[in-house]
Amino acid sequence: MASKRTVPEGSPGTPSSKRLRSVADEDYVDVDDTEEDRIATDAALVPRGATINLSALTRRLNEERRQAGSDGQPSLPPHRHLQDSLVSHIFMDQDFSWLHLKPDHASRPLWISPEGHIILEAFSPIAEQAQDFLVAISEPVSRPSFIHEYKLTPYSLYAAVSVGLQTEDIIDVLNRLSKVPVPEAITNLIRERTLSYGKVKLVLKHNKYYVESSHPETLQLLLKDKAIRDARVVSQASDANKMTTFTTTKAPVKGSLVIPGTKDVERKPDDPSKATPGASAGTSGSDGDLFTSVVGVESDEIDEDDENVHAFEIDDAKIDDVKKRCNELECPVLEEYDFRNDTVNANLDIDLKPATVIRPYQETSLSKMFGNGRARSGIIVLPCGAGKTLVGITAACTIKKSCLVLCTSSVSVMQWRQQFMQWSNVTDRQIAVFTADQKEKFAGESGVVVSTYSMVANTHNRSYESKKMMEFLTSREWGFILLDEVHVVPANMFRRVVTTIKAHSKLGLTATLVREDDRIADLNYMIGPKLYEANWMDLAAKGHIANVQCAEVWCPMTPEFYREYLREQSRKRVLLYCMNPRKFQACQFLIKYHEDRGDKVIVFSDNVYALEAYAKKLRKPYIHGQTGQVERMRILQHFQHSPEVNTIFLSKVGDTSIDLPEATCLIQISSHFGSRRQEAQRLGRILRAKRRNDEGFNAFFYSLVSKDTQEMYYSTKRQQFLIDQGYAFKVITQLDGMENMKDLVYKTREEQIELVTTVLMQAESAADLGTDIRGGEGDLAGTITSKDFGAPVQSKAPDAHRTMGSLTALSGGQHMSYVEQNKSANKKLAKEAVARHKLFAKRDREVAAAKKEARRGGA
Amino acid sequence: MRAVRGVLITCDSAVKQILLTLDERPGQSFIIEDLDEFHVLVRADEEQRVRRELEAELEKNTYSMEA
Repeated sequence: MASKRTVPEGSPGTPSSKRLRSVADEDYVDVDDTEEDRIATDAALVPRGATINLSALTRRLNEERRQAGSDGQPSLPPHRHLQDSLVSHIFMDQDFSWLHLKPDHASRPLWISPEGHIILEAFSPIAEQAQDFLVAISEPVSRPSFIHEYKLTPYSLYAAVSVGLQTEDIIDVLNRLSKVPVPEAITNLIRERTLSYGKVKLVLKHNKYYVESSHPETLQLLLKDKAIRDARVVSQASDANKMTTFTTTKAPVKGSLVIPGTKDVERKPDDPSKATPGASAGTSGSDGDLFTSVVGVESDEIDEDDENVHAFEIDDAKIDDVKKRCNELECPVLEEYDFRNDTVNANLDIDLKPATVIRPYQETSLSKMFGNGRARSGIIVLPCGAGKTLVGITAACTIKKSCLVLCTSSVSVMQWRQQFMQWSNVTDRQIAVFTADQKEKFAGESGVVVSTYSMVANTHNRSYESKKMMEFLTSREWGFILLDEVHVVPANMFRRVVTTIKAHSKLGLTATLVREDDRIADLNYMIGPKLYEANWMDLAAKGHIANVQCAEVWCPMTPEFYREYLREQSRKRVLLYCMNPRKFQACQFLIKYHEDRGDKVIVFSDNVYALEAYAKKLRKPYIHGQTGQVERMRILQHFQHSPEVNTIFLSKVGDTSIDLPEATCLIQISSHFGSRRQEAQRLGRILRAKRRNDEGFNAFFYSLVSKDTQEMYYSTKRQQFLIDQGYAFKVITQLDGMENMKDLVYKTREEQIELVTTVLMQAESAADLGTDIRGGEGDLAGTITSKDFGAPVQSKAPDAHRTMGSLTALSGGQHMSYVEQNKSANKKLAKEAVARHKLFAKRDREVAAAKKEARRGGA
Repeated sequence: MRAVRGVLITCDSAVKQILLTLDERPGQSFIIEDLDEFHVLVRADEEQRVRRELEAELEKNTYSMEA
């Protein structure tokens, strides 16, 4: 489609390359001009902030139209028609060449197809604003460097309305940005969807649920439904004709709400009084928020008409029915929490620590949540390593009510707790943990509880203590419920959580809104719309997450291995392509290369047998499910601090159950088939590595793939999610210099053949993935810990091995002795901490002596 | 001995392994001579069928968005 840009000016004959270049040159100049232009208009815009301000765009478009118009716009050249008939069969029903381009299309950044697909030129000078707008109204499908694809869906429009956009504005802005007139079908879709969506809100006020709307006619409509009418609570004084009147109140405005750790802190980082949240400061968008200036999310819609809202009360017990019914009536309710006016629930006195500063995109996501001074329920999507946790904590600190955090495993429970302690001033007594092992309650009126989904949703087989704890959880009202990794939670479990726990507002956090079973839509109405989705490439460009080079290394199978692979029909195929000697070599080479560069390398293998074989052969420490806690800690300690240990091998435990240290290079030798989520999660392990040197890439992600095997299929499938985020996978077919590497493993044919026989002798179960990990009691089924993404694997005793041999031989009577070859590198790591250098040891002694002296002096 | 018309196929070692497996299927033998790691001589009249089957075999490992 991009090629169309140059077409209209081309001559009907053969367009010479010179002609093309000159067009490109003009374009370039154009861009330059407008770049300056933009800065100027932005500056002019700053003080206005909160109103819907499209004039910036209009002005720019007008200007560009003038420039474009001066060359005179040629009418459609005849060869175009010919072209259409030649190429249109390639695109089938995706051929939209009949959509007429506007005369000034070159200065507009996007196309809209009648099916709701939006194609954005990401290189356009106004692409950034356009992107902000598109993210608000549509779902990003794919965002590589130059051309982005978005899709308008009913849910995305629902989300748009929920952050305060109005129907006509959406259509208007779309029309301004689009190269083609917005198709009738799209305007109709937008009108239809936004008319009903988001007009009705469910508000918990003074502990009573109200259905609220600024459109009385919508409420009338709802009340015509029997289920909703029955759920309505009619106050005693009402008589028959009161049925049609609603409680009317002034609409809330954002007013003085300040999200802690945001603008104020950034503006005056050295002024501590400003840093405290709640300090009233106007939130007029004086930081020149571009999005605000284009589409005005803040509070315009409410300010403008100074409208009153109408509400009727409904019965607590029937909340669920009402929500369901509203969905069926195509008027889904938005859930909002007016937390500042909630006097019933005790305040929780927590703040972010003054030193905590949140990043611009975290602030943007939170401003969508607290846009009108209330807390909206919804989902925030941020890449791993971009500080999801901090967003959650900041939201909790803004709401300042009792908060329940739910995560997927007991390991992340501890992480959340630790993060709360780190970023906010919550005290030990205010934060409690509820897992299979630990059941605490917070002291005082309000506090934070961290637990897992399954602990809360579990309905049977509860211990006495858990029962007590659940009573504690269900008996009270929660201001805020934080749902970590929402994409993995099964729908029915969710429903149970949502119905048993009474919470005013819900926030879902996730990095990858993909499910292998594609049941994302469920989340939309159970939690709320997607409030914000970050662009990975953007964050990487701005240095918030690491800049990653992804590569897929193709390792050809050796003839022996491939022969066996083709003949093997069982699960042992997996083993054969994991243990491919060329893969061994590639792995060894890459580890060596990156260790020499000074990188910290993590090697992932889901297959435990392969993991051990690799680690032992390459003499590196490894951790898998059976590795004891002490040994794990020791290995991780060494990996983090010792310059001797730069590489560790990890099984699936690394995916979820270990709090991994920072690494800058990641190598995958075997993975869980085609799981896109796992791939993204693993990439997340190196995204934390922030800018180390200013130029180029600072983290590396390799997948080793055996050529001509099924692995190729899975590997491509796994990458889809990351590709849609804009990552490009480089294919490496030949590692330069690998052949000449010193002590390369499995170099000779004999060694390779020996390896193939060993592999073939393995039991079939050795090919299973992730057998080393078992989900704990509190862990959520469906996180990657378990073998088949399903229920936690029931623990079973290891299979017994029987071998034949004479008693004398086995007991050493025939002069047989055993030597352990191929030792695990884990054992070589020093058991105790590395001894300190004499110099420091001496200094330590002196310091201790001085302290003692001082104490004695003080006493 | 009867003369058989043959086609020399040059391929990489992986494809050769696939060819050998295809050859092993009962009643479908087509290889005249296994020359070395990269060359096999196959019967000329079987060539097209072998090419098709090889293609199908390789296609199994390719992921496409539609699938």
